[in-house]
Amino acid sequence: MARVNTVLGAVSPAELGFVAIHEHIGYGMPGCELDTKWWKTPEQRYEETVPKLRLFHENAAPYGAATFVDATGICNGRDLDYYKSLSAKTGVHIIASTGFVGGDTALPFFERASIEYLAEQFVHEITVGIGSSGAKAGIIKVGVSRGFKMKELDKRIYRAAARASKATGAPIFTHLAVDVEPALAIFDEEGLPLDRVLFGHADDGVSQGLVNEKAIIAKGGRIGFDTFGYDLELPDPPFWGRHRNERLDHLLTFLNNGLVDSVLASADANCSPLGWPGVKGHTVNYLFEQLLPDLTAAGIDDVIVNRIFVENAAEFLTLQPCI
Amino acid sequence: MALVNTVLGPVDADDLGVTLVREALVNVVPGAQYGYDIRIDRAEVFEAVVAKLTDFKANGGGTIVDANGMFQGRDLALYEALSRAAGVHIVASTGQGPEAMLGGYFLTPQTNPPTPWPAERFAEMFSREVTDGMVVPRLERRSAAGLVATAVTVEGMTPTDESLVRGAARTGLATGVAVLIRCGFDALASLDIALSEGIPADRVVVADLDRNDAVAAGWPAEVARRGAWVSIDHAGSTDPQYVSDAERVALIMFLVNDGQADRVLISSSATGASFGEPGNDMAFSYVLTDFVPQLRAAGLSEATVEQILKTNPANLLSVRK
Repeated sequence: MARVNTVLGAVSPAELGFVAIHEHIGYGMPGCELDTKWWKTPEQRYEETVPKLRLFHENAAPYGAATFVDATGICNGRDLDYYKSLSAKTGVHIIASTGFVGGDTALPFFERASIEYLAEQFVHEITVGIGSSGAKAGIIKVGVSRGFKMKELDKRIYRAAARASKATGAPIFTHLAVDVEPALAIFDEEGLPLDRVLFGHADDGVSQGLVNEKAIIAKGGRIGFDTFGYDLELPDPPFWGRHRNERLDHLLTFLNNGLVDSVLASADANCSPLGWPGVKGHTVNYLFEQLLPDLTAAGIDDVIVNRIFVENAAEFLTLQPCI
Repeated sequence: MALVNTVLGPVDADDLGVTLVREALVNVVPGAQYGYDIRIDRAEVFEAVVAKLTDFKANGGGTIVDANGMFQGRDLALYEALSRAAGVHIVASTGQGPEAMLGGYFLTPQTNPPTPWPAERFAEMFSREVTDGMVVPRLERRSAAGLVATAVTVEGMTPTDESLVRGAARTGLATGVAVLIRCGFDALASLDIALSEGIPADRVVVADLDRNDAVAAGWPAEVARRGAWVSIDHAGSTDPQYVSDAERVALIMFLVNDGQADRVLISSSATGASFGEPGNDMAFSYVLTDFVPQLRAAGLSEATVEQILKTNPANLLSVRK
């Protein structure tokens, strides 16, 4: 039976509708919770978050449903009980992650852990649940630490993720697609089919020239155009921003060269950031307000849009254990 | 009247009684709270720790300092309830360290480049935990921190360790609470860095000085001669990294005979409850029931016992205006 883990329980992939494959309800580096600078009341959190999700739900209505994949890893402010209430009250499917955004966001307890323990952690969160929330993770987050070079802990996490993915069928998505060779080697050694991996942030402004797209595609991996909206045209763009047209053209190159099935797209926006200012005005709804009109204007038809945001995303998220 | 910041508010230093300055009520390796196989049952933790505190009190104890800082399990609401239930004063600490125990927020912030936090930012964060109250993450501030505790990496001081030491020293200077530094590769170098910030030596504790390498290097006597506090804080420990109780007694007798009785602090680094790494089974009462008798047998006078267990910690913990 085909299923996808959402925070409110398993659903059929046919129910997901429009999928934003890499987003955040709220992200913060571990330790930011100690800094009162970023604190907000629960009233503020809901006030900042609920309207964005409700609009996302409305925008996605033509697709039947809206699905928000939260890419916030363990130790980064992931809050399942909160996600459950948001999902229940807005109607947006929320899919939570297990795993880590990168080795540099894994706290000492996990930094000391073996590959086996980390794999067991991920499997438990996918099959039993996260903490006491009862909610199960639907995807595994891994990533490259700051510095554009995979560190030993990053590699340990990738290997554990590969094992957990094979055991549970949950897909993997990465924070950053730079220094991809060690990642490809690990997935290969662990025998994980590469179409279960989405190499994220391949489209950001600081990664250009550092992503071996050919190697990823040759092995059947997927490329994440998932920082849409972090545009240098914004009044105060983040350091990973990129010119809007450049990013769009980058994606169009793939779509116009028969590589539709190799890409997934998203906005990586925070509804209410936890330990950084966030980027004002940037929300998941950029996908509807800017990206879809841009794609239409570039001659990309609804069939292709549907393949990227509905069909391929659903296929990717479906639990596919390799037994 | 000299006041000490406890989790239930300021207390007259004369009321502290026998005080252990380096213990841990609840120890959580950062991140262990998310471990799939770790269950922190607050009722169970309370019951276990309150029993240890009650036993400490029954054996003549008065005050426990949780010197674990702000990110290794500090649970202020629990500590307040424990203090009320056991009738033991509890002093909680701000501070963090060494570098390896920090969250990525402080080490690889979302800036380009990801420059680790400098001393002044740590100083501001720690100082506000004294002046405005200690944080319950993303919720509220509660009582004032009574100590700022940090640590230096045993293999060698990292640049962030240095920022932590400087930030802690500035906190002590600005707020009047004492500074505790768990020593690393070179206790004297770390102490000198703290002192270079202008904090008086008698506001700084160097901890872990009963580690084998610390004793072998002669740091305890040197720390005392510089006017800082010598924390002999593993009474009863069987950890092979630390000297035995017999050697610990000899070290204390040496310091006392060197005229440094007013620089010595004794505790046991007991963990009331521990998650993510094994705790020790040390009772908070061990210093009173087992260690002090060894000191007496070695010839330590009652007056000196009283000074080390009561007067010295009271002086240390009194917030200096």
